[in-house]
Amino acid sequence: MSESGGRWVGAAVPLKEDARLVAGRGRFLDDIDRGRLLHAAMLRSPHAHARIVRLDASGAAAVPGVHAVLTGAEAAERSGPIRPLIPTTASVPDHCLAVDRVRYVGEPVAAVAAVDRATAEDALERIVVEYAPLPAVVDPEAAMRPDAPLLYPALGTNVLWHDAFTYGDVDGAMARADGILKERFVIQRYASTPLETFGAIAEYDPGLDAYEFWTNDQRPGLTISILAASLGVPQSRLRLHCPDIGGAFGNKRRPAYLLVCALLARSAGRPVKWVEDRIENLTALMHACNGIMEVELGYRADGTLLALSVRDVADEGKNLLTPTQHNLIKLGNIANGYRIPAVRYEAWSVLTNKCPSGANRGIGKPFMCFAIERAMSLLARRLGLDPAELRLRNYVTEAEMPYTTPPGAEYDSGDYPATLRRALERFDYAGRRAEQARARAEGRLLGIGIATSVEPAGTNLASYELVTGRRAASGSAEAAMVRVEPDGQVRASLGDPSSGQGYETVVAQIVADVLGVTPAAVSVARGFDSATTPWLYLSGNYSNKFSVTDVGAVLGAATRVRDKLLRIAAHRLEIDAADLELRDGAAMVRGAPDRRLPLAELARTAYADVLGLPPGEDPGLEAHHVHQNPLARPVDADRRVRSQLVFANAAHCCLVEIDPRTGQIALRKYVVVHDCGRELNPLIVEGMVHGSTVHGIGAALLEEFRYDETGQLLTSTFMDYLKPTAVDVPAIEVDRLEHPSPVTPLGAKGVGEGGAIPGPAAVANAVEDALAHLGVVVRSLPITPEQVWRWLRGELASGPLASGPLTSGPLTLPSPQRGEGGGRG
Amino acid sequence: MSADATSTPAERLRVRLTVNGAPVEREVEARLSLADFLRQDLGLTGTHVGCEHGVCGACTVLLDGRSARSCLLLAAQLDGARVTTIEGLTPAEGPSPLQEAFRACHAMQCGFCTPGMIVASTELLTATPAPDEAEIREALAGNLCMCTGYVNIVRAVTAASRAGARKRAR
Amino acid sequence: MKPAPFRYARPATAAEAVALLASNHGEAKLLAGGQSLVPLLNMRLARPAVLVDLNGARELGRIEPTPEGGLALGALVRHADLAASPLVRERAPLLAAAARHVGHVAIRNRGTLGGSLAHADPAAELPAAALALDATLGLLGPRGMRRVAAADFFRGLLSTALAADELLAEVIVPAAAAGWGFAEMARRPGDFALAGVAASLDGGGRARVVGFGVADRPLRLRAVESLAAAAPRDPAMPVRAGAAATADCDPATDVHASAEYRRHLAVMLTEDALREAVGRLGP
Repeated sequence: MSESGGRWVGAAVPLKEDARLVAGRGRFLDDIDRGRLLHAAMLRSPHAHARIVRLDASGAAAVPGVHAVLTGAEAAERSGPIRPLIPTTASVPDHCLAVDRVRYVGEPVAAVAAVDRATAEDALERIVVEYAPLPAVVDPEAAMRPDAPLLYPALGTNVLWHDAFTYGDVDGAMARADGILKERFVIQRYASTPLETFGAIAEYDPGLDAYEFWTNDQRPGLTISILAASLGVPQSRLRLHCPDIGGAFGNKRRPAYLLVCALLARSAGRPVKWVEDRIENLTALMHACNGIMEVELGYRADGTLLALSVRDVADEGKNLLTPTQHNLIKLGNIANGYRIPAVRYEAWSVLTNKCPSGANRGIGKPFMCFAIERAMSLLARRLGLDPAELRLRNYVTEAEMPYTTPPGAEYDSGDYPATLRRALERFDYAGRRAEQARARAEGRLLGIGIATSVEPAGTNLASYELVTGRRAASGSAEAAMVRVEPDGQVRASLGDPSSGQGYETVVAQIVADVLGVTPAAVSVARGFDSATTPWLYLSGNYSNKFSVTDVGAVLGAATRVRDKLLRIAAHRLEIDAADLELRDGAAMVRGAPDRRLPLAELARTAYADVLGLPPGEDPGLEAHHVHQNPLARPVDADRRVRSQLVFANAAHCCLVEIDPRTGQIALRKYVVVHDCGRELNPLIVEGMVHGSTVHGIGAALLEEFRYDETGQLLTSTFMDYLKPTAVDVPAIEVDRLEHPSPVTPLGAKGVGEGGAIPGPAAVANAVEDALAHLGVVVRSLPITPEQVWRWLRGELASGPLASGPLTSGPLTLPSPQRGEGGGRG
Repeated sequence: MSADATSTPAERLRVRLTVNGAPVEREVEARLSLADFLRQDLGLTGTHVGCEHGVCGACTVLLDGRSARSCLLLAAQLDGARVTTIEGLTPAEGPSPLQEAFRACHAMQCGFCTPGMIVASTELLTATPAPDEAEIREALAGNLCMCTGYVNIVRAVTAASRAGARKRAR
Repeated sequence: MKPAPFRYARPATAAEAVALLASNHGEAKLLAGGQSLVPLLNMRLARPAVLVDLNGARELGRIEPTPEGGLALGALVRHADLAASPLVRERAPLLAAAARHVGHVAIRNRGTLGGSLAHADPAAELPAAALALDATLGLLGPRGMRRVAAADFFRGLLSTALAADELLAEVIVPAAAAGWGFAEMARRPGDFALAGVAASLDGGGRARVVGFGVADRPLRLRAVESLAAAAPRDPAMPVRAGAAATADCDPATDVHASAEYRRHLAVMLTEDALREAVGRLGP
């Protein structure tokens, strides 16, 4: 089934999508119009934590041009609670609007649908809400204390999950160690903030009692399930379309808003569109968890790693949909490519009065990699070893693969030492060190940072069982359809909507190779349509799964169609199918290209002249296929699981210069060497590396959602929440190795999260390297010029963390309320 | 009632302007932004809205030949103005050399920033036909892209400037 | 984010605009470049009943030389035009330099000199440059034009000498001193400055060193000015004078920087601006 000799897969085929995008002819959610469309606006809580004493929306309903108003109480009557993806506790009902309590600034409490957005916003001002403010908790460690204000008093705690996992003899290894490096790291809240904001259109058909949605939601499989359950309709009476999506990166998933639109549409009898504005997006859509990681790294004097113990607090904000996701991803990836025989991981998933957390580019791995790679660089300094050398001594080698890490991740292929060596070579590491020394003599502060990471692809949902105690979903799979049309042209669709990754093109490349046509002859459906695209609950855009899972579905479907074409051709040409091949748009006899039947001719037999089909062959030339990642397994008896399934890897080297007067940090050079196995389209892959690395740089130096102590978000516009611009980042230089995965259909691995993972660590390591002679230790992000200036003045104890050892001892916390809690390490 | 260049404040006004070379006349609400006017009233959805506070650049159009944030302009204030959007920069017969360069260099991923980037790049290349990398990055610093990391966008503008130079040389 | 409703008018002259301001009793706001105002409208932080579009008053767009060797600038001159105008670059290069630092290209194409001065953001470049150049501002009201020195125009945070029925019509810049310097620091190029300094030295007894982002308004750094005026060509003066910058500053702490860091930047940027200015003075 593997197509290693194809002409199109692996080629730098220009993207089919780009032709329309460059002309402004994409069709994004807000470009879609429906007849008699109304526009919605959301009324949002100004308080981080408060009881809703009274809500009177009658004034809004009276505004001319308003056609529907929805309050939280009405939403709770007309829809069921939102089913979590990862239920951590006995259910806490969470509806699409706040009902009696608000728990973060920006939480929606009511909604209005009107003839236009401006009128809807006018109407919001007529809604009277009386709040009784409650104490808010903003810091996750404060939220964990017994006296903390509780978001859900019925739970008795803000800790949605607390568990510990031990793999191997951690205590013994630490006791035998020549030393233990202990550090505490803090990461900020930030988000990928796609340029297109989230939104939806909902229509209700009263005749069919059916709903139809258009949305840039990236998890249609999950969202449909939630919508159907909450609206009380079977999924068969619910249709969901995804158009062009203007970036997603994990953030575009908030079923609550679709529910609000659906209820408004039903009430108004007209379709309702809602598109969040940027303030709503930054305040209330989705942040990556901020948090704390305390790391203890046991080592031998020669730098060999013996054991790793991590305590990880993930600040989820008000996230009841997918808490623990960041924790689980960190657990699954905690070894970060190193051979570490014993691992302990203790995690807390904590509610606070802030924006709900959720998926983001890298989802937990940027922080995990920051902590591990910072610890490695600190260890190198402590041992007097070159930071590259320490890493090289500890990587899992190619010879050891497949290699299973203590928590159960399986590294399938890759040469991590070679990746780092290539990066050092491309970076001219020795030359840069010399340059750094010369600069130091001139009073200039140059710093070199190295960071490496694994980059997994595909999430096995069975891993959620570690949290929920039961298996409701599992594995990693995707569905696709390929069809040769009656006119011989080819059409394909995929259950995973692209959000800028070029799926239409890569799918066309794969199908083209299998069917012997050109990508131009393959029309790939844009986005997603639940009525016509094959899909599963597991379908969607997440965890880098396209190159490892989705392509298998496409390949499988295309192969079925190919085989049928060859059977039909063999029958018509009266020749053995083994002597035929598909090439240049036809089935032809190998070596006798004049004996050929074009696809259109075969399609005529399949669709029109069906009596000409081989005996026993059904008409039609369409196939569906679902590909499942073969590595996914349930959690085993030792609580190990392959939570992510295929491993790419990368090495980042960057050179920074610190302005000693202002503390400003300039990136002078940035090299990435990555290995994502077989590159299906090098143009797309390189673009992913550029863009993801800039996400990492943004997290390192610019981006932060800052809250005051009352839970007000201080950075709620692009004036205050700073994204990297073209002048803030250098040209990212990219080189590659290619170690195909033995477990994916085309040997490709994931690449979308890419540089977002080691980027923050690389930049942090570089800044610290520039200031190491002052004893500076970088423990938190972002690194601002002011912070650097303080370090230069000798204020080592400034910033979010003191420059000292781990604070306080183990925290005592109540166990989660989920029953037996067996298997605690 | 409508007001054109008058001193009578009105909530609805009649505006006459030129959009992509074609005359347009509409009655608009005073508070309607140019971005919304283009997208909703004229169906020109190539101009995108990303922030509505003038930072992201997704809404950039040419106003009387100069780049401007359409989210910070009112349709009502454009009586007599000449507006060019991405649709106006896309020739009927096929992509412009700049667009072709964007496509060839894969200078977009999700495509949401692309129209604004094309407009800003058009202005740059008109004023500075052979910009160096620093000039390109500076000119595009007001256009956020969340996908590409800007590398291929810079390459595309460079390629377009060279193609333009070759064309001028002939 | 859509504005609250308002009525819009586009007068043909500045005088008509003034009449509208007067007749609306403080409920009207002027629209010039819109780069500051429209975001506030969109966020509903500004909710005027009437928006008076000044862009129709073409007489406010002039850039003209004055017989005294300075410049007469209409309030509607766009930042881009200030930055590019050969006349401005020749007669008030400090102003051109300040204009180049405002935002990005698209912002500069629309934003206006008058709008920036009237908005009076304490971290804005043009108010500081105007103050450093001893500009005189022409405020047009129902009773005609009155002249206010820049030094008397900026009253406090986002607050100026403009009455509710007045508009800033013109900026008169005297013949500029040969020595000028401009330095600012922002998190990203084009952002509002964390702090900045505009300096003007004539090599005689006149020194103007104005900080922005260091107080609630553009601020003349008097202690710095004394030291600069006393030794304008001394190569050691910029550092010495820079150290005095903190004496007058009263910066704020916000999400982007602390007051302490801003004070430090004020010192650095004063040095830099003065060094530039000294360099341009010549022997």
